[in-house]
Amino acid sequence: MDDKRTRFEALVLPHLDAAQRLARWLCRSPSDADDIVQEAFMRAYRAFDSLRGPDARSWLLAIVRNCHLSALAERRRRAYEPLTEEHQAQPAPHAPAALPDPERASIARDQGRTLARLIAALPEEQREVLLLREVEDMSYREIAAVAQVPIGTVMSRLARARAALKLTWLEAGGEPHAVR
Amino acid sequence: MQCAESLAVQAAFDGELDAVSAAAAERHAEHCPECRALLEHLERTRTRIRREVDYGRASPELQARIARMLDAEAAAAKRVLGAAARPAWRLRPFWLGTLAGAAAALAASLAVVMLAPLSPAALPDELLAAHVRSLMPGHLTDVVSTDRHTVKPWFAGHADVSPAVADFSAQGYRLVGGRADYLDRQRVAAVVYEHGAHVINVFSFAAGVRPLPAQLSRSGYHLECWHAGDLGYCAVSDAGWEELDGLARLLQDLAAHDTR
Repeated sequence: MDDKRTRFEALVLPHLDAAQRLARWLCRSPSDADDIVQEAFMRAYRAFDSLRGPDARSWLLAIVRNCHLSALAERRRRAYEPLTEEHQAQPAPHAPAALPDPERASIARDQGRTLARLIAALPEEQREVLLLREVEDMSYREIAAVAQVPIGTVMSRLARARAALKLTWLEAGGEPHAVR
Repeated sequence: MQCAESLAVQAAFDGELDAVSAAAAERHAEHCPECRALLEHLERTRTRIRREVDYGRASPELQARIARMLDAEAAAAKRVLGAAARPAWRLRPFWLGTLAGAAAALAASLAVVMLAPLSPAALPDELLAAHVRSLMPGHLTDVVSTDRHTVKPWFAGHADVSPAVADFSAQGYRLVGGRADYLDRQRVAAVVYEHGAHVINVFSFAAGVRPLPAQLSRSGYHLECWHAGDLGYCAVSDAGWEELDGLARLLQDLAAHDTR
């Protein structure tokens, strides 16, 4: 019994940060993200005996993703609770495109948050592969295992996410290469 | 509108291609303004995301919550053992059953969506992507062997089908190994052959009587498919048509021989 916990802590627990990041990118509210991560770790622990092969990270992140989907479905089932996940972004006072020119300077100063907001506006399936590729540095095969889609789909989603980011940058008037 | 090579350029950028294919993609980008712009965009996007966007690390509170949860799980497991292995769900409130039901229904509906086979139009793209992907370093084979008695049994635990495998070195097609890939919503078996300098992936999967794509060429790769029993086979390579066809015929003969 304790042996299971020791192995779990050695194999799965090191990926807590990655799990937390994915949950944060998927559902955006920090407290919801923490709930999802906790639920995911519980499921992971209960299913730990079914983990095959060396790739604990993809396995855990796939569980995080499933927990997110279940939480979403649960929220939709309770119809009186409005759908928040696509609209309740970070405290974002205005859409960047609506800002008058003088305020563009302050956006430039705060490019990091702007970029985060643009990424947050991507469809979830694209945001997810982008995060797994650029932040978690996962291979296409690992991403395919997490997102549970074929590798070709990973490639096309990644391409769409990156292309959309370029378009939204232009629309937001950002000058990506002006900032260093 | 989009350059046909853009996915290959992206794959090269992501380090998913072997040195030769990556060099080819880079050469292409040198002459294609669109792909050169794409590469610059990819580079810039990555730099900025990695520098500026971060949702940080798990908070100490979250770490503590996980630790408490593990304590509770371990304790519950002991109690269950003590209570003559009573099913764990009895220890939890009844309404969790409802949630589990909803989750199961969701899982079932997802399964239906995900298990539906790809359209015939999408299959060639999947196969080509899998082939290109296999060429990246360290991804060609999961089991390396020129012995069919090693390669074939390996698939039993790693793919949903058991394909025809043989070493045709005498005919110029050296068996290199096997690999499990995920495409067409199933774990397909990929048998890898070398013919001269070319790698040939032979994918096999449960196809039933579903039509398979006809011979086609795309982005310099050739693809040839055939049925053998209820399995579908697709050979993909940048080798010439005759070479690809030669291996296809050898494998068809082998399958016909095996089933008789």
